[in-house]
Amino acid sequence: MSIVVLEHVSKEYRLGDHMVRALDDVTLSFESGVFLAIAGPSGSGKSTLLNVIGCIDMPSSGRVVIAGHDISGQTPDQLASLRARTIGFVFQTFNLFPVLTAEENVEYPLLQMEELDKQDRRERVKEMLELVQLGKFAKHRPSQLSGGQRQRVAIARALVTRPELVLADEPTANLDHKTGEGILALMRDINRRYKTTFIFSTHDKKVIDAADRLVGIEDGTVRILGVRKEGQWAITNVARRAASTTDTEAAALKR
Amino acid sequence: MLASRNVFRQRRRTSVSLIAIIGGVAAMLLASGFFEWNYDTMREGAIRARIGHVQITRDGFAEGGTADPLRYLMAETSEDRKLIEAFPQVDTLAPRLSFTGLISIGDSTTSFAGEGVDPEREKKASGALTILSGQDLSGIDANEITVGQGLADNLKLQVGQTVVLLANTGSGGINAIEVKVVGIFATITKAYDDFALRIPLKTSQRLLRVTGVHTWLVLLERTGQTDNFLAKLRPLLQTPGLSIVPWYETAAADFYNKTVSLFSKQVLVVKLMIAFIIVLSISNTMMTNVRERFGEIGTLMALGDTRAKVLRRFLAEGAVLGFAGGVLGSILGVGAARLISWVGIPMPPPPGMANSFVAGIMVTPGLVFEAIFLSVTTAVLAGLYPAWKASRLNIVDALRHAR
Ligand SMILES: Nc1ncnc2c1ncn2[C@@H]1O[C@H](COP(=O)(O)OP(=O)(O)O)[C@@H](O)[C@H]1O
Ligand SMILES: [Mg+2]
Repeated sequence: MSIVVLEHVSKEYRLGDHMVRALDDVTLSFESGVFLAIAGPSGSGKSTLLNVIGCIDMPSSGRVVIAGHDISGQTPDQLASLRARTIGFVFQTFNLFPVLTAEENVEYPLLQMEELDKQDRRERVKEMLELVQLGKFAKHRPSQLSGGQRQRVAIARALVTRPELVLADEPTANLDHKTGEGILALMRDINRRYKTTFIFSTHDKKVIDAADRLVGIEDGTVRILGVRKEGQWAITNVARRAASTTDTEAAALKR
Repeated sequence: MLASRNVFRQRRRTSVSLIAIIGGVAAMLLASGFFEWNYDTMREGAIRARIGHVQITRDGFAEGGTADPLRYLMAETSEDRKLIEAFPQVDTLAPRLSFTGLISIGDSTTSFAGEGVDPEREKKASGALTILSGQDLSGIDANEITVGQGLADNLKLQVGQTVVLLANTGSGGINAIEVKVVGIFATITKAYDDFALRIPLKTSQRLLRVTGVHTWLVLLERTGQTDNFLAKLRPLLQTPGLSIVPWYETAAADFYNKTVSLFSKQVLVVKLMIAFIIVLSISNTMMTNVRERFGEIGTLMALGDTRAKVLRRFLAEGAVLGFAGGVLGSILGVGAARLISWVGIPMPPPPGMANSFVAGIMVTPGLVFEAIFLSVTTAVLAGLYPAWKASRLNIVDALRHAR
């Protein structure tokens, strides 16, 4: 089953008296367990695409189905609950809660899962901090951590609810090259071990090389679809505004 | 917990808001504490000087007693009296005989309102009665009186002089006796002092040629016990036709009740103004607080917090601020009240009262509770709009502010 299905998704923003098309008739679907990069120049619509997939933004038109839930017509509260249980977020700017310690930050998403008691939560938080190799920093506040450590805490926070899907909008853009590679390697490792689906955006060629699936977008449309097999990229160019082709290629991507 | 950490993250801004709340709460406590002191003094003064906590009379005495006092006589002692005196909260029971008559010395004669009292028992019941010169009545059968300040001035009476009292007797005649003025007194009620004189109970019974009394004045340990005592006493009394009146229902307490309701309205205005100032001075801070944390709010919602939860979170921060300010303001207010009471506030004689006095400020636990309640609700109220704004943010726009 596809964890993400987008059909003819468009997103328009009003800017002054004219409309900006951030996404233009995007049709895509991703299998569960992929490690997928969304690549494209700045302003191409990467963030908008991730926001729509993450159910924090609604498309102007088209159908979005996330983990079997069609998000059109859902109330803000239903979407919030879908995000809480199914989706983990990693941000370019880390977005940790500054007044909470590392372990409290990681625990935060668990607080709304009533089925977990304090003991369960503590165990999961410990497990997650170990996973991102920050067991010793549990009591540190974000301001006492380096950028790379903060992003690791953010990854632990995104994973703690055992989401099916983790979305990361340019997760390495605020980190130096080496730290960024470490973060990618960690996400890659988690993806392999737990089969968690990762979708991240980047405009960095090196970061793309860590992925096993690629969606290249430009001006809000999908231009390139890539699948990597045995270290080799199989790239398909998608003709502009050819919805039927996109459908076919999307199907190819699933394979 | 998260709320309080967030509140105290912004030290400088929070302290500005806190100071506004602390100042407001302290000012409110001082204002209402000042009125409370006045209420208390007035109430306790009236109760201890002449109303008592509970008055027991024959039915109808309150209405018809002034016109025809001799119709409403009741026994001076009875089983009921013993029963009342056996209550642990009863401090004393003072029998009183009320009557009117004429008092003359030399060529001057004027009317008076007399009270036949048992001096021994009145020592407690008349705590708020001040002897200005001379001394108090010496015994239940002595041939002497004490005279209210206004009445004494009117007749130019001196301590040690002998006067004649004239009154209607129980059998329809007129009787007169000679008594010695042993003291001049003042209560807090000038209108009373202008006509009042006090006379030993037995002496008054001799003057009126009666044996009974009009009132058993019951004085309790504390005013707060009144209602509880009433509830216990009512079913126990055996004599039929007695009316049991708590202090606040007596005609004499009317002035007190009216004053309290008048001033309470004025204090309410003060409270509203202070609440308004608190709202004004912190709502702006709250708004800045929300605006500065757009990124955090976006993150909260992306992680699955509902709008309602975001709203509650910011309201909770307001509540924490209000509570902290309320508690600190109360500490400041109570401290300032102690200091001011210790120094004293010189006051001119109030209308209807005899003397100037030194007022204090009395902060009761009820007032502190009310002040904290007010500051919490006010702070929550001030945070309502910013919190609502926060909960309605567009997630994507909010996240764009993250740094
Ligand atoms: N809230 C918005 N209002 C107006 N225009 C927007 C808004 N968000 C994004 N856009 C526009 O949509 C296009 C795609 O933006 P974005 O998805 O952020 O691109 P990327 O993440 O690839 O840099 C850009 O032209 C951007 O200016
Ligand atoms: Mg972007």
